[in-house]
Amino acid sequence: MKRFMNLLRKEIRELVTAQLVISLVFMLVLFNFIGRTSRKEVEKAMGEQTLAVLDLDGSTASQGITMGLETANFKIESMAGKTKDEAVQAAGESEAKLLLVIPAGFGESLENLEPREVETYSFMRSFSMVGARSQVIIRSVINALNDLVSDRFLKEKLPDRDPDSLKNPIRTKDFVIVRERMAEGSAQMVAGLMTTQSLLIPVVLMMIVIYSSQMVISAVAMEKQNKTLETLLTVPIRRTSIITAKMLSAGLVGLISAFVYMAGFRSFMGGLGTDEIQAAAGQSGDSIMRQLGLYFDATGYIVLGAALFLAILTALAMAMILGVLAEDFRSAQNMIMPLILMVMVPYFISLFADMASLSLPVKLLILAIPFSHPFLVPQNLYLGNYGMIIGGLAYMLVVFVVLVGFAAKVFSSDKILTMKLRFGKKRNAAAAT
Amino acid sequence: MSVLRVEGLRKTYGKMEALKGIDFEVRPGEVFALIGPNGAGKTTALRICATLLSVTDGKVAFLEHDLRKEPDFVREKIAYLPEEAGAYKNMKGLDYLKFMAAFYAGTDTEEKEYVDRAVQITGLGNRLQDKVGTFSKGMTRKLLLARALMTKPVLAILDEPTSGLDVLNALEVRSMVRRYVKEGTAVLLSSHNMLEIEFLSDRLALIDHGRILDTGTPQALKDKHQAHNLEEVFRSAVQ
Repeated sequence: MKRFMNLLRKEIRELVTAQLVISLVFMLVLFNFIGRTSRKEVEKAMGEQTLAVLDLDGSTASQGITMGLETANFKIESMAGKTKDEAVQAAGESEAKLLLVIPAGFGESLENLEPREVETYSFMRSFSMVGARSQVIIRSVINALNDLVSDRFLKEKLPDRDPDSLKNPIRTKDFVIVRERMAEGSAQMVAGLMTTQSLLIPVVLMMIVIYSSQMVISAVAMEKQNKTLETLLTVPIRRTSIITAKMLSAGLVGLISAFVYMAGFRSFMGGLGTDEIQAAAGQSGDSIMRQLGLYFDATGYIVLGAALFLAILTALAMAMILGVLAEDFRSAQNMIMPLILMVMVPYFISLFADMASLSLPVKLLILAIPFSHPFLVPQNLYLGNYGMIIGGLAYMLVVFVVLVGFAAKVFSSDKILTMKLRFGKKRNAAAAT
Repeated sequence: MSVLRVEGLRKTYGKMEALKGIDFEVRPGEVFALIGPNGAGKTTALRICATLLSVTDGKVAFLEHDLRKEPDFVREKIAYLPEEAGAYKNMKGLDYLKFMAAFYAGTDTEEKEYVDRAVQITGLGNRLQDKVGTFSKGMTRKLLLARALMTKPVLAILDEPTSGLDVLNALEVRSMVRRYVKEGTAVLLSSHNMLEIEFLSDRLALIDHGRILDTGTPQALKDKHQAHNLEEVFRSAVQ
């Protein structure tokens, strides 16, 4: 144990370099900075904005629009007395992001129930999404006005009837059924909540797998490059302990790196307003998900944790073998690619496709990738596909055992010194004599 | 009892036969050298004796323990210095010695004893507080040799111990090896530097194309081949 701890300490020290710490701190600061900047921009966009209005009508209705916009936190810059062209030019030179032109006769047309156009001119000084907010607000004010006018008309003509019932005679009441549980809500909303709820799982998995694998591949490749591997293999410590120390240290450092990355990512996403969106989904969404049983209880978290843990172990064992194939640190960077692809494929499939609707060969191919199973755990857990979960966990365990066994065999044989893969060069692996 | 006994050792890589059945033994307290040109099979033989490579055929016994069956026992008692060895560049010299000593020492006192001895062998003084990455090739080699000798192994296997060193550093390394042999460590070393072998070895084996051509003390071989030096001995043996 003393020897193992000695090796583990050394492995961790080798991995936690000043460069790693600096890059992690830099990443954290950068994400935080982007998040804060984005948040400020969003707040600015949600705050008071200047809107130019050229009211050529001056009716009660047109004034109603202006007042509605003021209520929606817009600072109105009146273009009164200008022609349309002059107003466009003046608004373009001002702070206003949008010019609203209400034509003459607008109010009268409304009274006569004749459609009339208002014109909007957006000044695009940047292409950010938050910059387009003004137009959306104007549209909602106009929609509100449309409703007001049509409601008033209907009320006059049919005072005993509810205008809303007349405009929307058919209504829907949506229910979602998951297995035997039912709740009121739309399938679209439930799918959206599911995505938000399990958004972090694939990202966390991807980050940890990529970071840890890169660490372990580099750790083995660096031993080769620095010519320290031969010495290490002749010291009195079991080869399995060498493998375990490298995997454990890479796993730990990878986990910390991924955690730091996630913290940065969360601060970045918070800046983009996802926290507010989640809060907006609110308690009703939470209650629907609970009614449908679409939430993680303690068992669910344990199963998911086990799947993530097995996926990480599998990735580390795979990385260990790839590290042996690498000739030096540089070639180790290429070696990581197949592993990244094996994580990316199920990640994107889980985002954009439904496993159930895939053809059998594609489905089998996806299931053959050990990293697919953690992505499928939430879905299978919610849908009660326990067989798939147990099968997935067992499959990952078998793959891990086989890979570790192979890695141990490689480390205990000549292959640790003779096996190498060179890109672009066709050479036989042979030991130096 | 010999420290190391090699009998009919064969090693193949696919179809290539690196060692074609070699025999030699290393006796207690002696320096035994394998000399031969590049590709003769010296490093392969040393790597096998250091438990790094497997035996294709034949027998290698360390203190009468079969190397194939008891590699862990062998690793406890030997030290191996590869030809192109390096040390962990981010570690300080002293930390590297402590790290390596911890594998062999049973107690903290023993570990300190090993490290103190290694510090003395290197002669690097305060430079051991610097990172290995800042060391010259000669300093690194001294550090590695100190690492190999600090535990007073039963057998030190040194592959080209003075490879790439300047004259003064090479002389220093050779005297270190001789000093430790006097203290009881047997040495198996390889070199293609015949002068070095003549200075260091008690007995030697001439190896070429995976075969041992002749074995004996430097003087006995010179007499047998009627040669003035080992280079002439080697030429005579090859012919």
